[in-house]
Amino acid sequence: MATQKPTKFDQVDWDNLTGSGRFKISINMKLLLVTGVPVLLLGLYDHFLVGDREATFVRLGEDLGLSSQFEALGLDFNPTSVDILFVFTIFLFLWYLVLPLYQNMRMTKYYWKEFKRNRPAVISLIWLTIIFVGGVLGPFFVAMPEQDLFAAYQPPVFGSIDQVHVNQCVGEISDGRCQGTWEYPLGTTRGGQDVLAMVIHGMTVTMQIAFITTMIVAAIGITFGTVSAYAGGWVDEIMMRFVDIVLSFPTLLFFLLILYIYGAGLGMFILVFGLFGWGATARYVRSKALSVSEEEFVKATKISGAGTYRIVRRHVVPNTASSIITQLTLIIPGFLLAEAQLAFLGIGDTAVPTWGQAISSGRNAIDFAPWIVLVPGMALFLTILAFNFLGDAILDALNPEAEAESEK
Amino acid sequence: MGLARYVAARTIWAALVSFIIVTVTFLLLALAPNPSISQAATQAALEGGDPATAVEQQEQLRGLDQPLYVRYMDFVQGVYTLEWGWSQNRAQPVTEALWQGIYYTAQYSIPWTILTLIIGPLVGLYSAANMYSWKDHLATGFAFFGWAIPNFFFGIILLVIFGVWLQWFPIQYDTSVPVFSLANAHQLFLPVFVLVTGSIGAVMRVSRNESAEFQNADFMKTAKAKGVSPTRAYAYHVMRPTMVPLSTTIVSQLLVIFLGSSLLIEIVFGIPGLGRVTFDALINQDTNLVLGATLLFTFIAVIGNLIEDLVFTIMDPRISFDDR
Repeated sequence: MATQKPTKFDQVDWDNLTGSGRFKISINMKLLLVTGVPVLLLGLYDHFLVGDREATFVRLGEDLGLSSQFEALGLDFNPTSVDILFVFTIFLFLWYLVLPLYQNMRMTKYYWKEFKRNRPAVISLIWLTIIFVGGVLGPFFVAMPEQDLFAAYQPPVFGSIDQVHVNQCVGEISDGRCQGTWEYPLGTTRGGQDVLAMVIHGMTVTMQIAFITTMIVAAIGITFGTVSAYAGGWVDEIMMRFVDIVLSFPTLLFFLLILYIYGAGLGMFILVFGLFGWGATARYVRSKALSVSEEEFVKATKISGAGTYRIVRRHVVPNTASSIITQLTLIIPGFLLAEAQLAFLGIGDTAVPTWGQAISSGRNAIDFAPWIVLVPGMALFLTILAFNFLGDAILDALNPEAEAESEK
Repeated sequence: MGLARYVAARTIWAALVSFIIVTVTFLLLALAPNPSISQAATQAALEGGDPATAVEQQEQLRGLDQPLYVRYMDFVQGVYTLEWGWSQNRAQPVTEALWQGIYYTAQYSIPWTILTLIIGPLVGLYSAANMYSWKDHLATGFAFFGWAIPNFFFGIILLVIFGVWLQWFPIQYDTSVPVFSLANAHQLFLPVFVLVTGSIGAVMRVSRNESAEFQNADFMKTAKAKGVSPTRAYAYHVMRPTMVPLSTTIVSQLLVIFLGSSLLIEIVFGIPGLGRVTFDALINQDTNLVLGATLLFTFIAVIGNLIEDLVFTIMDPRISFDDR
C-alpha cells in the first residue's frame, strides 16, 4: 500500500517494518509449529487410528516399522488425549510466555526485582515449580500407586502407628508401635498405596487442569473480549448479554448434570469448565481492551494507517496481557477446588489418581492414620494458596498503581 | 430510565436467563439415552422378554414417543408450574423432597450468611483502620487461610480434632433436635464455622482495601476537622461507600460457597440437607430428583445474580440509569 510516496513522512510502510509482515512468522510461532504440530498430529492419530486397548506408542512403532527401536528406547507409553493436550499447552506456555520473558530481558529483570520483594509470592513460585516439574516428570519415574494389602497403613517416616492397625510392619516395631520407613516416606493408605506416589500423580492432574482449562478459558475469553470491545454497538451488547448467560450457569451443577446423563472423565471436566469458565475473563478483557484502545498511542497508530487486526494483535493484546495473566492465575484455584470436590465425592474420574480422591480414601481412618488425609489435603491447600499469592504478586509487579491498594 | 424501570428490565432479563438454562437442560436430557429406559430394556432381556417392546412401552409411559416440541412444551410448563415429578427413590414428589432438604440446609445457611455479613465488613474495616499493625497482619493471614483451604478438608480436620479427639462437638448430626435449641446450635457450630471461614476471606480483603481508599479521602478530613467521633466517621463516612463494591463481593461469595461447598459440608457433617439429597439422587440414579435439584440450584444462582446487580445499583445513588 505504501512505498509509492516515500516523501510523505506521516505514512508508515507497514510491510517494511521489522517483523510486521503479514506472512512473516515470528520465532515463537516457528517453535510452536515445530513442536506443537507433531503433538497435535499424535493426538489425532491416537483418537482416530489407535484402538481403545492399544498403547499409542506401541502402535505407532508398528505403523512406522520401528517397533524394535521403540522397544529398545522403552517407548511404550499410552498417553490419553488429556496428556497430549497437556504437552501441547506446555509448548504454548514455553514459546509464548517463558520465551518472551527471555526475549525482553530488560523488562523481565525489572519485573523480577518488583516480584522478589514479595516473599510469600517467591515461595509460592518455588512451590508451584515443584508441582509443575513433579507433575510433568514425576509419572516417568514414579509408578502408579498400586494396591498392596500387606503394606496397609504404613506410617510416614519418623511417624508411628499403633500395631493393631497394621497387618505387617515394614519398619521396626517398638513399644507396640510400628515405625515409619524410607520405603514409604509419606506412609500408605488402607489399600497399601504409597501416599507419595499418589501425591506425585495428583500433581500431574492438578497441572493438567490448571494448564489446559486456563488455555481454553484464555483462548475464548481473550477473543470474545477483544472482539466485543472492538465491534462496539449492538454486537457488543449481544456478546456481553451472552457472557451474562454464561456467567449465570452454575458450572459445578451443570457438570453434575452432564456427569449424570452422559458420564464424564477428566477430559470432560476440563472441557466443561473451560467452556463455561471464560465469562469473567471475557468481561475483564473487554474492559481492559476498551481502556487501552482509548490511549493516545493507539490513536496515533490508527492515524498512521494501521488496520484493526494489527492494532488489536500488536498493541491491545500485548498491553492487556499482564492484567489477563493475573486474572487467569486467580481463577485457577476455582478449577482445582471443583475437581477436588468432585473427586472427594467419588464422582470424579476414578481412572486418574487425584488429591481429592486421596483425601476421601483416608476419611474413615483419619483418627489413627491422619497422614492419608493430611498430606494430599495440605498439598491442595498450599497449591491454591500459592496461586492466590502469585496472582496478587504479579498484579503488584506489573501494575504499580495497584500497589497502593493491595499493599501488604 | 428510572430505578423502577431498571429493576423491571433486570428482572425480565433474569427470567429470560432462567428460561435459556431450562432449555439447555431439556436439550441435554432429550439428546441422551434415558437411564431408566435402558434399565427396562436390560431387565426385559434378562427376563426373556423382548427389549425393543420394553423400550417402546417405557417410552410410551413417559411420553417420549411424542414429537420433540410437544415434550419441550410439557417440560417447560412442568418446570414453571413446579410439577417436578415423582422421586422414585424417596417415594415422594420431588418438590417435597427438595423442601425437606431446604429445611436442614437453611438451619446452617442462615446463621452462616448473617455471620459473614456482620463479621466480614467489620473485620475488614478494623484492619484498614489499623493498617500494617500485627492485628491487620493476623486478619489478612486469616483471610488468606480461610479463602485457600478447601472447605471439606477443613471440615474433616475440625471434625477429627474437636469431634473425635476432644469430643467437644457431636460427630453425628441428630435430626430429632428442635431447631431453636442449644443442642442444635451446638451440633451446627462446626459446619457454620467452616463456611464462615471460607466465605469471609474475600469479604474481608475487599472491605479492607476499599475502606483503606476512603479513610484518607477528603470528606474524611472534613469530617475529622468538624469533630466527628471516630466511630461515627467510620460507620457513616467510610462504611457507606465501601458497601457499594462490597455488596457485589458478598453476594457472589455467598453464592459460590452455597452452590459449591455446602454440598460437601453436608456430606462431611452428615446433614440431610439439599446437598445430601442431590448427592443421594445422583448415586441412586433418581433422574427427576437430580433434575429438580439442579434446577433449584440454578434458579438460586440466577436470583442471586439478580440480587447482586440490584443491590449494587440501589446502594450507589451516583449511578445513572441512562446507559444501562
